[in-house]
Parts: sequence; C-alpha cells; structure tokens
Amino acid sequence: MYKILVKFTKQDRMKFLSHLELIRVVERALRRADIALKFSQGFNPHPKISFAAPLAVGVSSEGEYLTVEIEEKIDSNDFQKKLNMELPKGIKFIKCKYVDTKTKSLMSIVEDSTYVVKCYTQRDYQYNEISRILEKFLQRNEIFYEKVGKKNKVRTVDIRKHIKEAIILALEDKEIIFKITTSTGSQGNLKPEIVIEKLVELEGVAMDLEKLRVHRLETFSSKGDRKLIPIDSII
Amino acid sequence: MNEKVEEILYKVEKPSRYIGGEINSYKKVINENMIRFGFAFPDIYEVGMSHLGMHIIYNLLNELDDIYCERIFAPWVDMEEILRKEDYPLFTIETHSSISNMDIIGFTLQYELSYSNVLNILDLGKIPFKSSERDESHPIIIAGGPCAYNPEPLADIVDICVLGESEELLIEICNVYKKIKKEGFVKDRFLQEVCKIEGVYVPSFYEVKYKEDNTIRFVKPKKEEYPAKIKKRIIRELNEAFYPEKVIVPFADVVHDRAMIEIFRGCTRGCRFCQAGMIYRPIRERKSARALELADKLLKNTGYEEISISSLSTSDYSELNELVRGLIKNYGDKKIGLSVPSMRLDSFSLKLIEEIQKVRKTGLTFAPEAGTQRLRDVINKGVLEKDLIEAVTNAFGLGWSTVKLYFMIGLPRENYEDIDGIADLGRKVVQAYYDTPKENRKKGLKVTVSTSSFVPKPFTPFQWEPQDKIDTLVEKQNYLKGKLRHKNITYNYHDSKTSFLEGVFARGDRRLGEVLIKAFNKGCRFDGWQEHFLYNNWMEAFEECGIDPSFYANRRREYDEVLPWDHIDVGVTKKYLIDENEKSKEEKLTKDCRISCTGCGINSGFIGGVC
Repeated sequence: MYKILVKFTKQDRMKFLSHLELIRVVERALRRADIALKFSQGFNPHPKISFAAPLAVGVSSEGEYLTVEIEEKIDSNDFQKKLNMELPKGIKFIKCKYVDTKTKSLMSIVEDSTYVVKCYTQRDYQYNEISRILEKFLQRNEIFYEKVGKKNKVRTVDIRKHIKEAIILALEDKEIIFKITTSTGSQGNLKPEIVIEKLVELEGVAMDLEKLRVHRLETFSSKGDRKLIPIDSII
Repeated sequence: MNEKVEEILYKVEKPSRYIGGEINSYKKVINENMIRFGFAFPDIYEVGMSHLGMHIIYNLLNELDDIYCERIFAPWVDMEEILRKEDYPLFTIETHSSISNMDIIGFTLQYELSYSNVLNILDLGKIPFKSSERDESHPIIIAGGPCAYNPEPLADIVDICVLGESEELLIEICNVYKKIKKEGFVKDRFLQEVCKIEGVYVPSFYEVKYKEDNTIRFVKPKKEEYPAKIKKRIIRELNEAFYPEKVIVPFADVVHDRAMIEIFRGCTRGCRFCQAGMIYRPIRERKSARALELADKLLKNTGYEEISISSLSTSDYSELNELVRGLIKNYGDKKIGLSVPSMRLDSFSLKLIEEIQKVRKTGLTFAPEAGTQRLRDVINKGVLEKDLIEAVTNAFGLGWSTVKLYFMIGLPRENYEDIDGIADLGRKVVQAYYDTPKENRKKGLKVTVSTSSFVPKPFTPFQWEPQDKIDTLVEKQNYLKGKLRHKNITYNYHDSKTSFLEGVFARGDRRLGEVLIKAFNKGCRFDGWQEHFLYNNWMEAFEECGIDPSFYANRRREYDEVLPWDHIDVGVTKKYLIDENEKSKEEKLTKDCRISCTGCGINSGFIGGVC
C-alpha cells in the first residue's frame, strides 16, 4: 500500500463545487485514470482519499492538499499527468509525491491558511485610513463573534487569536485587497470572510459584503514552533 | 464565464448545477452555419440529468459538427428570483447564452405536472408562449417524450411535436431547418416542410371542433397534404442504434448519479393501467454482449462507481442471467455497484439480487399494484399472492428486513374489499417475517406500503375510465391509514390533488392551454413539488376560463367519443384497447405477448411481421 500527497488548485468555475462534489470529482477522475485504488473496509467501500481543509462554496484556491492511498506503485509524475488529463478544467494537480503511509492525516496537521480577500467599499478610502483602521482592529485583545452552530444554537467565541496576520495588499478606487492568515483545521477554524465582517462591524468600514471574493493561497502546518510551512514541505 | 453570470452564481444555492463544464460535456466554437439546439428539461438539473433520454439526444446531436446541443433546465426558485430581479435571461448550461439565442428548443415532456415549468422557461427566456405569437426571431419550440403522445394541452404553445423515439427524427428536423435557413428562414415554410417527416405533428395545421356537450366533434387537417393520422417513430434495431458512450458526469448530486445501460425498449406484460407498456411497443432488445461492451466504455469514460440496468420489467430480458453475471464478473472487485431496478421478484431474480447485493442489502421493492386477486386480474397484473409471500419469505430467510410494497388506489372497478386487501397483504408480509426462524432473519423489520392514485392515461385500455374524485381518494387513503396501524408498517400515499391535476392534463384537449397560461401567471410552477403546488390558484384558473376540470378527469367516455389524441397513431389499435377494457370488466387475464401475440396492432403498422 502506498500514499500519495497531492497539492492542487481549485479555480475558475470549479470554485463553485461544494466539498462533497469535489470529493466525487477526484474519485471519478482517479477511476477514469485507472489508478489501483485502496478501498475502505465495510459495507460501503470507498476509496481512501483525505483532504486537508475543505473550502466553502465560491472560494478558489491554489494551495489545496489531499492524500490518496493506492495499491500499486506508479511513477508520481505519471500519476500527476494521468490525473490532469482526467480532471475538469480548474482543478489541477500541481505537485504529487509519495509520503510515508503512517503520516498523520492531513486534517490533523493543518494549522493555518493564507487568503487573498477582495472587497468593495461603498466610498473611496485612502490607503492610510484603511491601514490605520486595520491596525486598530488588530490591536484589540478580544474580538467576539456570534457563531451559529448546530440546531441554530448561538455561541459567542473570541476569534482574535485565530487571526494570524492581516495586511493590505492593494487599494484602488473602491477595491481593497487584503492578505489574511487565519487558523484552519480542527484546532480552530476561522473563515477570512468573518474577519472582514468584524472589521466592518467594529471599525465601521462602509463595505459591500455581498461582493466579497476569497482565494486561498496556501495551507500550512508547523513543527510545533508555529512557524508556517506549506503542507508539502512538512511531510 | 461571463461576469454577470458569475456574480449571480455567488447568490444561489448549489451553484454547481449551473456552471457547466462537466466531464464529457461539449464545448464547441459557434459559427454562423451551426444549428443551436437547446435541449430543455422542464425540471431542475438534478432531475433532468438523471434522465437517460436527455443523454442520448445530447450526445447524438453533438456528435454532428454542424449542430450544437446545449442543455436548459428549470432554474430552482432562488435562481428564478434573481434572474427576474436582475432582468437577466435564463441561460444554457454549456455557453451561458440566453436561451432565446437557440434556433430550436426541444422540451422533453416526462410528466404532466412539468407543463407550468415549460412556460416558466419560455418566460425567463423572454419567448412568447403561443406559437402564433412567435416569428422568425424566436426559436422553434419542439416537444417530445411520453406526454407528447397527447400534446393537445400544449397545442397552442409548441410549434412541433415529435412522436416516438426521436433519434433519427431530430436530425431530420435539423436538416430541414438548415435547408430553409440557407434560403432565408421563414417559419411557415419550415413548418410546411417539416410536417412531411413521419413522426412530426404540427398542431397548428389541425382544426378542432367541439360539440355542445364539450366533447370533440372532429379533429382534421387544415390542408389535404397534412397527414390525417400522425404515426410515431421507432428505432427498429436497437443493437445498431446510437448509444451515448461518453455521458456527462454531473458535479451536483443528481437523483440517479450512475452509468445507465438500456437493455430493451417496450414491454410485453400488457398491464392495463400502464401507458409505458403500450406506447413503447414493440419490444426490442439489445444483445447482452453489446450491453456489456457499452458498460465497459461507459465506466471507463465516466469513472462512475455504480452502474444500473434500465428498462421496463427488467426480469423479462431474455439474456438477464448472462448480463448480470458478466457485470458482476467484470466489476465486482473494482467496487463498482450494480443496481437492477424494475425486477419481478421470483426465486430466480432473488438469487441474482442476492449475488448483486453480497455486501450491502438494500431494501427490496415489490409492486403488486392491487390488493386482491380479483383487482389484479382486472388490471392484468399477473402476480399471485402466493408468489409474493413466497418471495418475501425467501428474502427474509436470506437476510433482508426492509420491504417496500407499491399499490395503486382508485383503479377502475375497485371497491373497499380491494383496499382491505392492501392492508391484508401488508400484514401477511409482516407475518411471513415472524414465521421465519429467528436465527435466520435479520433484526428490525420495516415494511413500507405506498399507494399512488391511479391516473387514467391516453393509449391505455383505461383511457375511457373516470378517475376517482379527490374526496374519494382521500377517503380511501384515510381508511387504509386506519387499517395499517402496525409497529412494523409505514404507510405513504400521494397527494390526491396533484393526481387530479395530472389526470386533467393527461387526457386534456386544446382548451387547457389557456388554463395553463393563466395558472402560470398566478404563480404556478413546480407543480410536482409538493411545497410549490398551488392547488387553489389552479382551480381559480379553471374557473376564470370557464372550464370544469372534472370533465377531463372524472368523466367516463363512450367508446365512440372522439378523443383528443385520436389523430395520433402509437401502433396499438383502439380495437385492442377496447377489447382489453372489456376483458378487464370480466376480470379476464391477457397473456404476456412474448408467449403468443395478443394482437395489439403494433406488428402490422410498424414492423410488418412478428415482433
């Protein structure tokens, strides 16, 4: 049994796929490519594919990861080529390498993700003004967010510690582009949209939240020292 | 993708059903000489993409260089709201073009309750409803599918109906279109030309006159050169017929998300309530070797993890054993699931299903259709109670514990003893479980009894019979509900108001077109979806048009009455249908016509010889 780690993109119209839809797309591409898949045991056998961090519908990415377990070894370049022939436009395997079958699941090692977030403001803002607002926002010790959980239960959580970095990449007319790094995974998960939402709410930026567009750049883990390393460099 | 569409997609539920670009979908460069054909399924993507006929036509047309077939579905209500708010036209899946840019739009009519969605699609494409209101600047509107055998309620709306299997037919229509387009397209010239093709019905070329009692006096062609009877088309040889090998693999979770192999068309059982069993005659099989070859290609091209066999009454397939064993042998270890719907569960089938479901035992479904032997004889459903009990007993012994039983209520000549019979059968199935030794049976018996309400359909022996009134159906359902209170039994039934509307349109005539438009304007759409069905609005529409819906649904017709679909020839003769209805009154069975010909007429008009 072998395990392949794949770094891939999910862009263009593929950003509109839900996570479940993405799983099916990958499974079927693997079948079309005639890869000897390893299946789970039990009543309803499934190929053993696991993903690092699911994306919300509408979010594109160039830094997604998955692992797939296979029965017969195949050259990783061939694997990549074969799969890219079968995947729909927008999903592309950009790096494939064999990893130890005993590596921990991706889900459990993911810590952070970096995003580019494009926003539209309702009036013109100067760079300095936004910069000052952002600085003030990040200086807060606590940022409370009302999270709606299962059965519509509302829970108030402090999201400040999950915002790792937020900077302004560009500002032009009414368009602002932020680069935001937030916690991702089972130890804490924060969508960058919520960061913007709170920025608007707490600091009073006049923004069209409906037009927010999010793109994930990379998914990270660390060796316990909180230094961000892309997933494919850590395992 | 264009920016506006992208912006809209951010605002709707499940955007993946609108994005296109699925594996095996076609992307063509559009040029002047190309015919743009919109294949429209008047329901949502998830339903339409599960329909094999759509895949056949889509691939067939797209294999031709000078035709581009794009898909059109009814948008879900949130999408409709945004399209209307933004005043953006309904678009095709392939190129996100406005549907009004198509040369031809072909609707498939799979059920009567989708008619309001046909109007909604036209409306969202800013295409006028009536054929007479459309000119050369609008697409030609075609309708096909099983409901097109009585297309009269849509007669004023569609330009052309295609009758029967349209694989060859649609290409012929496109060729005529191309020819007329070259000369400068004139709609009337096109219709005059296209109506000469066998299987093409142009409703506007026919005149209907009514009697004072609202029945039809006559239907006749407006010109002598138009055919007095329009014959359906069939594909003679299924083994040589086109079959899609690279079918689209949807992103969204569609209803039937699997590869489908069609093994035969038609049915020889002759159940008297069943329209499919009559209109799809004659029986034509695909060889198992060909079916296996297709299965292989389909799985390679799609990557599907499940394959299903598609036909009516699958157990009747003469090479079922070879096919199923072949599929298990080829794909069992690749973890590809096999589903075989529509099986009659005798001991042979049960053994096959056992093999198929080695790992996981899903539920078993039986369709006795009626509760007593007498009523099963009336409808010519040759199932014996003894066989059913034997089959479920076997199944329980083999480890099944979930059983579904399908019945119809409101069948002709039904009385309360027959309703009692449904409850009795349900209880006997429960008893068969408890009679199975404890060590052999699986825990947790679940018996589901479902009743649908019988809707008399054109071209069946029951086409003259009245449908039960809504109140009668509700009474029967309530009566049965009371009788089926048991911890192991769940009882489901269909809403009788929807069945009523289905009954009205199934045997409707041209006058229903106005009602349909009125109902649509009152907000009716997705009538087959319980949560969207607006019964009161429909009844208002009938009233405002001065039309009594029960005239169509609840009235008994005489044999000499001119029926709205009498000018359509499906091959099965009226004489045969009358004989069958008379035999049903005498509770006499008609044999499966695989055994010996029962003289339905299909062999004389359509294949010229033995079936």
